[in-house]
Amino acid sequence: MTAAKTREPGGSWLESLAGSPWPWLLPLAAILLATFVFPIFEIVRLSLTDASLVGGGYEYTLGSYGSLLTSPYFTDMLTATAVFVFFSVLFQMLLGFLIALAVDQGARRGMRASIVTRTAVLSAWAIPGVIIGIIWSILYQQSEAGVLNYLLGLVGLGPVPFLSDPEFALASVTLANIWRGTAFSMILIYAGLQTLPDDVLEAARVDGASAFQSLTRVVLPLLAPILFINLVIVSIETFNTFDMVLALTGGGPGRATEVIALSIYNQIFQQFDLGPGAATAVLLLAVNAVMTAVYIRLLQREEEVA
Amino acid sequence: MLGSKARAERLTRAGLYAAYAVITAFFLFPIFWVVSMSLKTVPQLFATPPVWFPWPPQFGNYAYVLTSTSIGRYLLNSAFIVLMTVILTLIIATLAAYGFSRFSFRYKRPSLLAVLVFQMVSPVVIAIPLYRFFAALGLLNSYATVILVYVAIVLPFTTWFLKGYFDTIPHEMDEAAIVDGASRWQVLTRILLPVCAPGIATAAILAAVLSWSQFVVPFILLDSRELYPISVGLVDLKNTSDAITLHYLSAASVIAIAPVIAVFVLLQRYIVNALTAGAIKG
Repeated sequence: MTAAKTREPGGSWLESLAGSPWPWLLPLAAILLATFVFPIFEIVRLSLTDASLVGGGYEYTLGSYGSLLTSPYFTDMLTATAVFVFFSVLFQMLLGFLIALAVDQGARRGMRASIVTRTAVLSAWAIPGVIIGIIWSILYQQSEAGVLNYLLGLVGLGPVPFLSDPEFALASVTLANIWRGTAFSMILIYAGLQTLPDDVLEAARVDGASAFQSLTRVVLPLLAPILFINLVIVSIETFNTFDMVLALTGGGPGRATEVIALSIYNQIFQQFDLGPGAATAVLLLAVNAVMTAVYIRLLQREEEVA
Repeated sequence: MLGSKARAERLTRAGLYAAYAVITAFFLFPIFWVVSMSLKTVPQLFATPPVWFPWPPQFGNYAYVLTSTSIGRYLLNSAFIVLMTVILTLIIATLAAYGFSRFSFRYKRPSLLAVLVFQMVSPVVIAIPLYRFFAALGLLNSYATVILVYVAIVLPFTTWFLKGYFDTIPHEMDEAAIVDGASRWQVLTRILLPVCAPGIATAAILAAVLSWSQFVVPFILLDSRELYPISVGLVDLKNTSDAITLHYLSAASVIAIAPVIAVFVLLQRYIVNALTAGAIKG
């Protein structure tokens, strides 16, 4: 920046323009404005109208919110979303933490198997959501050929109506999502663990702390900032989950697995209820906004510490 | 004393190996099963107890899927969309990362955070107004439209990542060049880009993996089958296939995940570094 000013003036107008940051940022700004800012304004506006998906005239009204809030499906959607998000996030972080711990301990001992394990977990995460939905729908097959029911049968359980019973279906969708998302928590926490020096753990050992004590009193407090950031990112991701559930259950049976993102799609493109669908989208947007605000606060606090 | 310590260490190692076995089995089993299904004959699909290792493996299922369904077409569509998305994203993100990394200006911090905010917005939410908008303009079923939205979705992360990478290159290097009379464009293309090649390669890989798995946007903005990328094509195939064609659906799924898994296994060290850098560092 300072160098730009000490440079001899001259050169083309293009070059002097390049001395300001804005031309460099312009393409980014234009694309983000067109594909995010404009649609966000538009979805809020649409939620306040009685417009239909394919144009035509409309009037401004609060009717969409009214009919959304009084709809019996609304509480179903909230319940499905809450259960799905809560258990997904809880187990993704718990499993992610335990796996990160195991991988980190192995890596500190130079065990090759730790890398194999890390790769296995990451592979699950690399797979596109729709394909995860397809793969798990094959695993969950309820006919005699269904492999999970066969395995459960070996230990005297089942058969389980994985996808045809509303409650099991929600649990099945959540399990598949835990399988998919654990890798992200694992990677973040693993990166955090790697920043802990060997001697922090050693010091706890020498003081006579058990492994569990050194975990809860030394490791967890040091990791707390990363765990909070992890919690927020994973929650946002889970609220936005769409493709995996669509491919696995389509929201069914009934609406048992119709989480919020899927509900928006179904209302607008299946039932052609643009207003209530847009109102639901605004609700999801509000959730995204609140969590993003928390995330930014956390980032800024991290920077102040650093 | 030493002996008990060595024994404790051996126990820990044994415990770790046991944990690795359980974890690896849990995460690889679904992938193993879909590969197994993809190599079966129709009777083997329904066998109880299940056939774990179909023999001889029916590689013909893959040939059938690639020649007699539209999967080959979908793969090419995906490859084209992903390639265009990666190229455009890299150009725009590199310019923006240079701007964010090499200038100090008012509202720089808020602008950077604003870019990050868009990464949190659900694609479903933006796809709906975009559908209406593009429908009114007659721009549905167009690759240009879809690629534009892909680029927007991939940009925030890529920009942050590249900005972080540029920041690690000392400013003195390009400032000296500017004093010597180089233009900023020359500084970017002749000095920064060569040094940052590994970072740009990582950004390209991440952008490619992210775009390969996009679903909502093409699902909503495309409805002509010939244009489907693999993700949408597979859902279409799933909805039209039944129990007796599960081996084909499985083979198609394996074909669709093979490229991303290969990339992850081969390049995971870079990907792991990039992911953690993007999420934790500002």
